[in-house]
Amino acid sequence: MSKALTIFLGPQHPGAPGNVAFKLVLDGERVVDIDLIPGFLHRGFEKMMEYRRWDMDLVMCPRICVEDPDHVELSYTHAMEQIFDIEPPEKAKYIRVIIAEFSRLASHLLWMMHFAGPIAARYATSWAIAAREEILKWFDYVTGHRIYHHYIFPGGVRWNIPGDFEEKTLKVLKVIEPLIKDLDRGFFHHPIFIKRAQGVGRLKASDAIRLGATGPNLRGSGVQYDLRKSLRYDAYGEIDFEIPHGEYGDAYDRALVRLREMYTSIYIIRQALEKMPYEGPYRWKLPPTLPIGEGIGRVESARGEFVAHIISAPSNPLSRSLTPYRIKFRGPTMPHLTTILKHIVANEEITVADLPILIGSLDPCPPDIDR
Amino acid sequence: MVFKAIILGLKYLLRKPYTRMYPYKEPAYTTEHTRQRHILRMDLCIGCRACQLSCPADAIKMYKIEGDYPKNRLKIFPGIDYSRCVYCGLCVEACPTDALIMTDYTMEHLITEDKATTLYSPLDLARPPETPYRITMSKDTWSPLPQAPPRKSHSG
Amino acid sequence: MSFNDELVSLLPPKYKGRLSITGSNTGKRLELYIDPCDVRSILKAVYDAGYNHFIGITVVDYPMENVFELVYLLSSIERNGELLAIRTKIKRDEPFIDSVADIYPLAYYQEIEGYEFFGIIFRGHNGLRKWILLDNWEGPPPLRKDIDTRQIVLEIFYGGKRYERPRQWRSLGGYSGLERGGENE
Repeated sequence: MSKALTIFLGPQHPGAPGNVAFKLVLDGERVVDIDLIPGFLHRGFEKMMEYRRWDMDLVMCPRICVEDPDHVELSYTHAMEQIFDIEPPEKAKYIRVIIAEFSRLASHLLWMMHFAGPIAARYATSWAIAAREEILKWFDYVTGHRIYHHYIFPGGVRWNIPGDFEEKTLKVLKVIEPLIKDLDRGFFHHPIFIKRAQGVGRLKASDAIRLGATGPNLRGSGVQYDLRKSLRYDAYGEIDFEIPHGEYGDAYDRALVRLREMYTSIYIIRQALEKMPYEGPYRWKLPPTLPIGEGIGRVESARGEFVAHIISAPSNPLSRSLTPYRIKFRGPTMPHLTTILKHIVANEEITVADLPILIGSLDPCPPDIDR
Repeated sequence: MVFKAIILGLKYLLRKPYTRMYPYKEPAYTTEHTRQRHILRMDLCIGCRACQLSCPADAIKMYKIEGDYPKNRLKIFPGIDYSRCVYCGLCVEACPTDALIMTDYTMEHLITEDKATTLYSPLDLARPPETPYRITMSKDTWSPLPQAPPRKSHSG
Repeated sequence: MSFNDELVSLLPPKYKGRLSITGSNTGKRLELYIDPCDVRSILKAVYDAGYNHFIGITVVDYPMENVFELVYLLSSIERNGELLAIRTKIKRDEPFIDSVADIYPLAYYQEIEGYEFFGIIFRGHNGLRKWILLDNWEGPPPLRKDIDTRQIVLEIFYGGKRYERPRQWRSLGGYSGLERGGENE
């Protein structure tokens, strides 16, 4: 047998998913062991947030996950509202649901770019980014910015929606839906893609739960678990939808789950537009000092479960504090790229040519690990 | 099946590309809520530094300017460093007299070839831009002012 | 949310009456305070009771009371996403605690983070090292409350008091503040 070879799939590589590096141990063509080398995107958010006031912290939050920024703001907002012990108004809950679902759509379309690019299907990349451009223009119309919105705020949403909100949103959905159907027919049911992705990287349901997987990776293995249905936060309790799931657990099933989630998101947005109350307050005003308490915010982001744990304690026994005492974020990518990847590589036959499909189907977001 | 995908792709061959040739051939895409360059109204500013204390990116610095401003006894006014600003709008939200407002003008403060022109003093901020612009964020973005929060009734 | 009878029956008798329900909205959770020497037995009992989805370990530093507080967050998928938080306190001068990396595989990586940011040593862990902070930071563990990272950065890179832009010596095109009236203090 040949000796084992160690090579680096470094941070500046067209096949690597962002700024992380892997250390691979190869035996011939087969990958025997894989190790993650993070730290290229460490900006020190948890320490920086202890020096700023709690409303300035919200501006720093969406920069933690670049592809899906609204769910980070939503988890921070839930934790802050548990510390202040208030509940947002009804109109704000429905607006938050619509913004979160559009953010999930934009994130899945960006996942198409990371997935179809390394396997040389560049036509799907262009179609997906063209559809995403319409969503970013819609975000500019409602919140003012294209990618980092700073719109979901503790107490509600920051300002009111424009007058023609409903017709503009329905027009955007009417433009996007044929593009997604074209992707469905032209990429996901294409025989070349099916041949490359079926049977690669099988993950069984009991292993997925034990190793800590969340989100579409867990649902692709057959477990029907979605935080939007279990915890029913914001206005998800009043909206009626089905959770898509797979059965076998390979890369093809995980990709199909994400495609069906795109259709589910469009269905949820249409229902929320009908049920939303258009009159009423959209924001409560909160005091600048924090009461003492603790809050845990859990949301279902596009990649999995995002948790923000905020502790507010007095650092000075004589006065109330303006800044939170300790903030901890746990992103969904940490179990996916460490424990699950090691388990799949050790138990299945993965060659170097299968590695882009495998890593792409797990949908990593590298800023989540380093923060 | 491969043939069908090729025919599907032909319809995208003939449409216009999505790229927007900004800034030399087309203007920027702006809406009613786009937040870009600020305007400072120097006769309303009282020099309280609330904008500097609210900036998360540490982009505002106060300058001393001589002149006839009866409301501003300390004679300090804010200047913004546009290479640090993130356009969040917390300074506009903090200003008590509506002296600092935001418009949707997107040209010279960032589109430049010389980094020195991104540091704006208060007199630069007080000069309004030449091309037509819209005021997108000021005190009446939030009027009527939001109410005090109700206490959640204790349940489980 | 009600008390989980299976969980209560699997706990050792010392802790049977100490579960409590706190929190609201998405943070509604069961809480349990334990001593640091019982960490392995409690987490094994909790794993058998159905809470086998590991979320994370939060470490909080209280320098005035001289303790580190660790919060283990776990959840259960069969019971529809219920959250369980297990809290212990260890001394700040001797931060040693047992590792649970063989019961929960994801705890291996969360404990590496606890070591490099706070300096806590997990007994039985064979891979404690600087993982995220490799080549980024030399010095004491940065997230402790007595390390002022902002002052360190200001002294190394900016030489003193504030994040200043360096003075521009090239031609300014008549557009900057230095030529137009406002002056630097």
